[in-house]
Amino acid sequence: MKGNNHLPIPFTMSLYDLINKNQDLFFIDAQTGHAVSVKTMHQSLQIDNTQGLVFIYNDNLIGSIEVLLNFLNSKFTVVLLGAQLHPSFKQNLEELYTPYYIYDPGRKTIEGYKSTQVSASIRLLKRKETPAYSIHSNIKMLLSTSGTTGSPKFVKLSDGNLVHNAYSILDYMPVKKDDVVPLNVPIIFVYGLSIFTTNCMAAGSIVCTNNDILQPAFWTDFSKYNCSTIGGVPYVYEMLHRIGFFKKDHPSLRYMTQTGGILNQALRTEIARYISTYGKQFFAQYGQTEAAGRMAYLPQQDLLEKAASIGRPIKNGRFEIDDETSELIYYGPNVFGGYANGPGDLGTWHETNKLYTGDVARVDDDGYYYITGRIKRIIKLFGTRLNLDEVELILKNALGGQTVVCTGINDKYLRVSHVNDQLEESVIKLVLKEKLQIHPASVQVKYIPCMPLTPNGKIDYPAVMSVA
Amino acid sequence: MHTQQNLQEVIAKAFGIAPTDITDELEYQGIPEWDSVSHLVLVTELETAYGITIEMEDVLTMGSVAKVKELLKKYNVIM
Repeated sequence: MKGNNHLPIPFTMSLYDLINKNQDLFFIDAQTGHAVSVKTMHQSLQIDNTQGLVFIYNDNLIGSIEVLLNFLNSKFTVVLLGAQLHPSFKQNLEELYTPYYIYDPGRKTIEGYKSTQVSASIRLLKRKETPAYSIHSNIKMLLSTSGTTGSPKFVKLSDGNLVHNAYSILDYMPVKKDDVVPLNVPIIFVYGLSIFTTNCMAAGSIVCTNNDILQPAFWTDFSKYNCSTIGGVPYVYEMLHRIGFFKKDHPSLRYMTQTGGILNQALRTEIARYISTYGKQFFAQYGQTEAAGRMAYLPQQDLLEKAASIGRPIKNGRFEIDDETSELIYYGPNVFGGYANGPGDLGTWHETNKLYTGDVARVDDDGYYYITGRIKRIIKLFGTRLNLDEVELILKNALGGQTVVCTGINDKYLRVSHVNDQLEESVIKLVLKEKLQIHPASVQVKYIPCMPLTPNGKIDYPAVMSVA
Repeated sequence: MHTQQNLQEVIAKAFGIAPTDITDELEYQGIPEWDSVSHLVLVTELETAYGITIEMEDVLTMGSVAKVKELLKKYNVIM
């Protein structure tokens, strides 16, 4: 099944040009009901014409979107971060990367920065001393490898990465010119960003909102603006189920999208029933930040027959499974240009089309791929990617260097194992809650008298996980 | 009856904060601890504590502690 977008691909155009070319596009401010044309947002902010980093602490409201669009249309490299990020993490990142501009509507002042009014409604903080490092001209965007741990590790993406990703999605996604799209997935996550870029290029209106699907206001807007689509990670679909979304028709809704893991069988069946009863479409997808978004999708006719499959590679992409490790390897023009752990890494771009996904996979006779495990120490808790090594480090630092070992249980629980019988469970949960906004109910703390180690003295993670 | 006290404890447990921090004015997304994840934890905790089954549609109406109390009245929970 193909979308309606058989456009020739003008890869010479930038992401911003492709968005700006969609001249009938409007951004709706859900807080006021005002609709602002993409034409009005064109060069609407007085920003310097230079290279540099801009930190955008995004809240998905229309101000963030205007700032993002203006900086996409500039020489700046955009760093997307969450407005909810812990203040100490914000400070650490700013001290390390010394961004030229910061957009964070929640903060009036930052040391070393002066406030500058760049339009009637938008204020940026501008660094007093110009940072003295170079940025490779390919690097258009830096996305965090994790939304909440405040890790300084970013994925370097080029404008071409973002454009290729968007076109590969528009190849199968049924986006229409008069579609109304709610930004219910934060755009700091690559999935939310993909929803944003593809629909800015091909849809009619984007509803800028920070309401989530558990707030009645979100559904008031959903009906009021006749929203065409909704997206979410598996946890969002579990919530949709819990609030009775699948019990009735939502007349304006045409299609739903999902990524970030495999839906459970019961939910998949419920969604299959819903889309066939009311004539909707559903797209399960697979991707990673390192691929600027998408690598595969599952056409909806395969939702039940190919249960638990991530589907087939997107247009211009292909998969390979490593003979020895069974690791899934992706090839495509949307593969990133390396990681940045600090400003020193911004001067380089590693051009490649090959991505080691860190996922273990198999393929069936029809060419459908299935994820069977993970090589990297990453779990997804309520849809948020958590690097267990980073969580471990944050916990160790907060607990004065004690031995703690973090593992995941089926992407449902974070298990913290430790060897100190005096260590209170509540202390660990408090640190995780305060630093990482991890809910105590999703944390399991386990005291083990002796930490299992491998022969060369490293933590034996499989053995830790098997301790009941 | 100590139900009032209990409700504060139930909510506090769901959010992982102190019972004394629970006021009627507290709203969904008003504090970092009351997000979509803990909202569904709260639903489950209320169902367990009072032996009720909260209707899907009602999950959306629980936008503040005051509204949670109103809802519990509807389910004939005595406070």
